[in-house]
Amino acid sequence: MNALLDIRGLTIDIDRDSGPARVVDGIDLTVAEGESLGIVGESGCGKSLTMLSLVGLLPNRIRATGGVADFAGKDLLAMSSEELRRLRGSQIGFIFQDPMTSLNPVMRVGAQIAEALVYQSGMAKPAAMERAAELLELVGIPSPRDRLMAYPHELSGGMRQRVMIAIGLAGSPRLLIADEPTTALDVTIQAQIVDLVRDLKDRFGMSVVWITHDLALIAGLADRIAVLYAGTVVEDSPVDVLFERPTHPYTRGLLASLPTLTDKPMSRLPSIAGTPPEPGRRPPGCPFAPRCALVTAVCTTSVPRLAPVAGSAPGHRAACFVTAGEGAS
Amino acid sequence: MTDGTIINPPEDRPSSLWRDAWRRLRRNRLAVAGLVVLAVLVFVAAFGPWLTPYDFLSQNLDARNLPPSLGHPFGTDDLGRDVMSRVIYGARTAFLVAVLVTVVAVLIGVVLGAIAGFYGGRFDKTLMWVTDMTMSVPQLLLVVVINASLKQPISLWMEARYMETMNPLYRNSAIIDFVLVFGSMALISWPPYARLVRAQVLSIRNRPYVTAARALGLTNRIILTRYVMPNAVGPLIVAISAGLGTAMVLESAFSFLGIGVNPPTPSWGNMISDGLRVWTNYPHLLLAPAAVLAVVTVAFNFLGDGLNDALNPKGQK
Ligand SMILES: Nc1ncnc2c1ncn2[C@@H]1O[C@H](COP(=O)(O)OP(=O)(O)OP(=O)(O)O)[C@@H](O)[C@H]1O
Ligand SMILES: [Mg+2]
Repeated sequence: MNALLDIRGLTIDIDRDSGPARVVDGIDLTVAEGESLGIVGESGCGKSLTMLSLVGLLPNRIRATGGVADFAGKDLLAMSSEELRRLRGSQIGFIFQDPMTSLNPVMRVGAQIAEALVYQSGMAKPAAMERAAELLELVGIPSPRDRLMAYPHELSGGMRQRVMIAIGLAGSPRLLIADEPTTALDVTIQAQIVDLVRDLKDRFGMSVVWITHDLALIAGLADRIAVLYAGTVVEDSPVDVLFERPTHPYTRGLLASLPTLTDKPMSRLPSIAGTPPEPGRRPPGCPFAPRCALVTAVCTTSVPRLAPVAGSAPGHRAACFVTAGEGAS
Repeated sequence: MTDGTIINPPEDRPSSLWRDAWRRLRRNRLAVAGLVVLAVLVFVAAFGPWLTPYDFLSQNLDARNLPPSLGHPFGTDDLGRDVMSRVIYGARTAFLVAVLVTVVAVLIGVVLGAIAGFYGGRFDKTLMWVTDMTMSVPQLLLVVVINASLKQPISLWMEARYMETMNPLYRNSAIIDFVLVFGSMALISWPPYARLVRAQVLSIRNRPYVTAARALGLTNRIILTRYVMPNAVGPLIVAISAGLGTAMVLESAFSFLGIGVNPPTPSWGNMISDGLRVWTNYPHLLLAPAAVLAVVTVAFNFLGDGLNDALNPKGQK
């Protein structure tokens, strides 16, 4: 498969008054054409910033300072802001976390979907509204023609997230980036949204990047999963391999903290002790070393690199001296 | 998935944002009272010349300084002019000045404030500096300075135009007064609007729906005009309502001090000023314009408060 998106060595710094603080520290990720990649990791590990940096939407005082991000053969990080603007929506679509606040409260949803078609692709208004109705139907909204005239506050959270997906799809992007799109929704609606995105992906052959805290939720959607910790990729693997043979101690901790049906009711789930390092305050060695049960001397002095996991399936890589290297157990 | 996930029934839909606000406003009695007073004011200002029982300039030296009566509900002044007719004509002046000043000030303030808040940078810094300076100098002082420095050149220019065209309009000193009053008042009135809009834009430009609009590849101009500004109008409407009242008071204050609208054009301010000289003998000459000015100002404040509550139902503190 060809890589549609290929990120190598991406670094992102926050420009603090006390000097730059590194939040994303050399991330490597690839997404193949038609593939869906799940990205998991603790809050604050840099998942959102990584994705925003691709399309030039980083907040003030935060900048991508190194690396390349090839998208369809062109480096996104080297593009002008105007080139990136043209790319947004039409090549790379976004779905954001909070459907309650990600829609313009004073604009009817039909107009919001048609917006990109009118202003970005120069489609005539009536045609754009027609297309908006089709998109609403596509994302499973009943009586879509009536809903075009609704304001966001008149729709439930699940409906709004469907509208957000319709907006994300409006420009027929090749890559859809979904940043925790179900975190704010009920569990049953979450599953519906995951199913919907999977259907749409298969239908249009899009690539999807799905950011989440919830490993169990994307197990059914992702082809591959990348585990982020403190601004680096610590493990990257086909989804079934990851569940079968989690390698990095952090991934093992994440999986162990998933509830299973065999757990005793009300029993405590294991959690990983400690907190991730603050941006700019990384330990010299492996960023996970201070919380790691398997820590050795080398872990506190050198940084492990993402390397193929010995004896595992191809495409399974992890960054750990203890569990991933040659002869590791 | 069923229709049950949609919260509101469909018939409740179109423009319900503004309709909700209107419903809340109507429940507020003081705001409604303010609205009624202002509606009367607008009506009187618009149709004044057809409503006044007497011409506001016609003097009747046999009927000077009469107390209120059936024929002259607000009495007459020292030249025998009907005070009610003059108060009505004064409403025209007050309203015209307030609306024009506010329109100009709001236009300047909205454009500058929106650009500064949205794009930031050096323009923003400069604008904030200018508004700080303007707002830290007493308004009256500023108007006196602007008036003094503009009166001469404008009069000269008008005279030159008159010589060129022989159009008597250019010798009408009332026009010069109006231009000066508007001009200087607008010049001191826009900074608060600019700051308000800038603060609004600053808080809105990082909202998730603006980021979502950027992620759609919309241009800055469209994001500013369709996503940011429409969400900033609530507080602006409240400020405009209060600002109209303030502009009326300002106009009266300047006319009172003799730097605004000059006699014989009636303005509540110059009527109050005239009335003040003789109020011990003829209190109605002071009371009539002062009471009307007070009522109108209070009406604007009630309406402003009501709008504030109606437009920010969650922001009640
Ligand atoms: N606008 C900002 N200003 C300053 N720091 C920021 C800003 N946005 C993010 N950060 C910091 O950058 C780091 C990474 O943020 P990011 O939003 O990418 O995390 P995330 O992995 O998406 O977390 P979450 O799961 O909570 O969304 C965090 O430590 C956060 O504090
Ligand atoms: Mg995030």
